[in-house]
Amino acid sequence: MVGGEAAVEALKSGLRHLTGVLAAAPFEGLATVVDVMMRAEEIVAAGNEQEMLARVDAAWTAWKAGSEQAPHSVSAADAASSRSDARVDEDVAALRMDPELAGMFIVEALDHLGTIEASVLALEAAPGDVKLLNDIFRPFHTVKGNSGALGVRTVQELAHRVESLLDLARSGKLAIGERETDVILKAVDVLTAMIRDLQRRLNGDPGEDLEAARVHLITLVEAVIVQEHVEPEAAPAAIAEESGASASPVPAEFRRRADDSGATSVKIDTRKLDNLVDMVGELVIVQSIIHEDPALQAVDERLTRNLAQLRRITSDLQRNAMAMRMVPIRQTFQKMARLVRDLCKLSGKQVDLVLSGEDTELDRKVVEDINDPLMHMVRNSVDHGIEDAATRQARGKLPMGRLSLKAYHQGGSIVIEIEDDGGGLNTERIRQKAIAQGLIDAEAQLDPSEINQLIFRPGFSTAQQITEISGRGVGMDVVRRNIEALRGRIEIHSRPGEGTTFAIRLPLTLAIVDGLVLRSGAQRFVLPTFAVRESLRPLPEHVHTVHGQPRMVQVRDSLIPLIRLAELFRIDDAVEHAWEGTVVVIEDEGDHVALIVDELVGKQEVVIKSLGDAFSMVRGVAGGAILGDGRVGLILDAHGIVAMVQRCEANAA
Amino acid sequence: MNTTENTGAAKTVAGLAGKYLTFALGAEEYGLAVLKVREIIKMLDITQVPQMPAHVKGVINLRGKVIPVVDLRLKFGFPPQEYTERTCVIVVEVMSATGAVLMGIVVDAVSEVLNLAAEDIERTPDFGEHVETDYMTGIAKVKGKVKILLDLDRVLGADGTINLRAA
Repeated sequence: MVGGEAAVEALKSGLRHLTGVLAAAPFEGLATVVDVMMRAEEIVAAGNEQEMLARVDAAWTAWKAGSEQAPHSVSAADAASSRSDARVDEDVAALRMDPELAGMFIVEALDHLGTIEASVLALEAAPGDVKLLNDIFRPFHTVKGNSGALGVRTVQELAHRVESLLDLARSGKLAIGERETDVILKAVDVLTAMIRDLQRRLNGDPGEDLEAARVHLITLVEAVIVQEHVEPEAAPAAIAEESGASASPVPAEFRRRADDSGATSVKIDTRKLDNLVDMVGELVIVQSIIHEDPALQAVDERLTRNLAQLRRITSDLQRNAMAMRMVPIRQTFQKMARLVRDLCKLSGKQVDLVLSGEDTELDRKVVEDINDPLMHMVRNSVDHGIEDAATRQARGKLPMGRLSLKAYHQGGSIVIEIEDDGGGLNTERIRQKAIAQGLIDAEAQLDPSEINQLIFRPGFSTAQQITEISGRGVGMDVVRRNIEALRGRIEIHSRPGEGTTFAIRLPLTLAIVDGLVLRSGAQRFVLPTFAVRESLRPLPEHVHTVHGQPRMVQVRDSLIPLIRLAELFRIDDAVEHAWEGTVVVIEDEGDHVALIVDELVGKQEVVIKSLGDAFSMVRGVAGGAILGDGRVGLILDAHGIVAMVQRCEANAA
Repeated sequence: MNTTENTGAAKTVAGLAGKYLTFALGAEEYGLAVLKVREIIKMLDITQVPQMPAHVKGVINLRGKVIPVVDLRLKFGFPPQEYTERTCVIVVEVMSATGAVLMGIVVDAVSEVLNLAAEDIERTPDFGEHVETDYMTGIAKVKGKVKILLDLDRVLGADGTINLRAA
C-alpha cells in the first residue's frame, strides 16, 4: 500500500456506505461505478491512475447509456445491470441453445446449492475446519464453472465472488465468522432464487427481478473481502479469462462430476422410472395368474418349485423398482437447521436442533411436498412452543430450548416427529378461543386431546401477538390439508409445561395405496383404507327414509347420510337395500357418508394409475388400479363422494 | 404406384395416399392411417367410468397402463350391438391438448391393411347438414367398395377429449 492509507481507507468506508444505499433500484448501475472506485486502491497502488480513471469513466458511461457494449470486466458488466432483464434474457437465450444441458445445469446447480447450507451450519459449529470449507467451496466452484461454460453470466459472476471469498478463507486470510456465514447463506438463497427464476423463464413463464438482490449481495461479499485488507481476488481480468477458457461445448464440471460420483448414482427421468414400475407391476400380476392356474398346479413338482422361485424374484424386483423412487429426507431436515438458526436470530431464543433418522427414505414427491408443512411446524415450535431463556429458567429448565426432528419407519408408514421441550399447548386458551370463534359450545365437555385437535380447524390461531415469525393466518389447518393431500395423518401429544410432539404419519410411497376392494354389481372399486371409518351390516330398522327413499343409517348414536354406490355411479345389478349388502362408512374432514356396496372383497395394496385427462372431470374417482386379475378397478375419492352426497342433499332440500 | 395427373380434387387428397387399416362398423367400412395404430387386441373386460357418455365404454389395462376405450359404433350413432368373437379394440395414438395419448376404439371387426394411392381417394362429398363430415378426411373406392377415411385426432383428440365428456 502506498502513503495516504488513512485517506484511502476513509474514502473506501464512505464508498462502502454509498454502495449499500445505491444497491436498490434504480441505482444499481451507479453502485457498480462505486464498486469500481472501491477497487481503485489497488490500481492506484500499482501506479495506474489513468487506467482507473478510464475504468470509472467506462462504468459511468455504461450505466448512463445502459450500454450493452460492456467490456469483459465484472464491473462494467454490472454496469449494464440497470437493464437487468436484458441480461437475464441473454442468460436464458444462452441456456436455450442446448435445452438438455440447461436442464442438467439447473438440476445440478440446485442440488449443489442444497448441500451448502448444511456445511455452512456445521462450519459455524467447527470454525476453521478445512474439510467443511472445501465442502462449501466446491459446490460454488462447480456452479460457477457450469454457469460460465453455458454462458449464464449473472449466476457466474455472483458465484465467482463468493468463491473468491471462500478461497481467502481456505488460504487462511479470512476467518469465517457470523457475518461471513450470513453472507454465504444469503448467497445460497439468492443463487437458488436466480436459478429457479431462470428455470421459470426457460419454461416461458414470467420471471421476477432479482437484480437488486444480486447486486446488493455482490457488494456485501465485496465488503467482506475488502474489509479483511486482502487483495480482492475478483480482479476483472480473472473472470474474463475464465469465461473464455471454459467455452467448450461440454462443461468440464459435468465431466468431472461424472468421474466422482458416476459410479454410485445415475440421474434418471422419473417417467422412465414410472414406466419400469408399471411393467414390473404387470409382471407381478401375470406371474400370479400363472401361479394360480389350476392346470399347472398339479402337473409337476419341479414346475411348482420353479414357479415359486419366479414368484420370489418378481416380488424382489417389484420392491427394488419401488425403492428407486425413494430419496432420504436428509436435505429437508437440513433446511430446517437453517430455518431454526434464522428463527433464533430473529426471536432471540436459544434452540438446539437435534436431527435423527435423516437417512430414512421417502417417495421423492413426499419429500418435496412435506417441506412446507414441516417448515411451518418448526416455525410454530420455535415461536409458540419454546419459551425464551428467562421464562425457561423461571420454570427450572435449561435456558437453551431443545427441538428434535426425527424420522423413522413404523408399521408400513414413515413417521416424522417434531418434538419441543416448550410449554406445551395451552388447552384452556385453545378452548376459550374456540368458543369465541363459535367452533365449540361453551358447555361442551371435551377432553384435552379433543381440544388440542381444534388447532387444525380453519382460521384458528392462538398466538396472542402476531410475530414476524408466525401467526399470520396460515394455520395448522393448511398443514393438515397438505399432509392429507399426501395421504398422511397428523397427531399431537402435548404435555403441559414439558413440551409438545407433533407426529406426521406418511405412506411409504405415493405410488401405492392401501385399499379396501369392494364390489358393487359387476364392478369392483378400491377405497383407500385411510378414508374408511368402519363397515357394518345394518338392521332394516336402523335405515331411515326421507321422502320414501332410504337416506339415513343409524350407527350407534349418530345418523349418517346413506347412499348406494350403485346409484352414485349408475351401476346395474347391485343390491338394493343396506341390509342385503354391506355399508362402508367413509370420512372426509370430519364429515361421514355411508355407502351401500354388495360386498367387501378384501384388502389389497394397489399401484395408483392416473386415468388421464379424458377423465379429469369425473367426480368421486381418484384414479385407477390394476387388480389381481389384471382388470382395472377405480379408486374412489372419499372427498369427492362426500361432496357429491352433500350436493344431492342440498338439491333435495 | 403411378400417380397420374388428375383433377383439382385429387390434388387436395394427394397427401392422404398411404397405408390404411380398414375395419367394419355395421355394413360400412372405415379406414385409418396405420401410422396412428399401435396395436390390435381382442375384446377384454372394460371397467366403466361413471358420468361419461355412452360411447365412452370405460378403461382397460394395457400392460400396466390404464387407457380409455371408446365404442365407435355408439360414437357414430349406430345401434348398440353385443360384442362378438370378431369385436376388436384398436389401440391408437391420438393428439390431445396435452400431447399424444393412447386410446382404444372398439370396432365390429378388423379387415385388412390397404395401400391406397392418391387416385383411389376422393374428397369427402357434402352430405348436407345431417351428416357431420368434419372427421372424415376422404373416401376411398377399392374394388367397387367405399371406405370412409377417418381423422382420429378429430374424432377423439383435441376437440374429442371434450367430446369424451360432453357429447
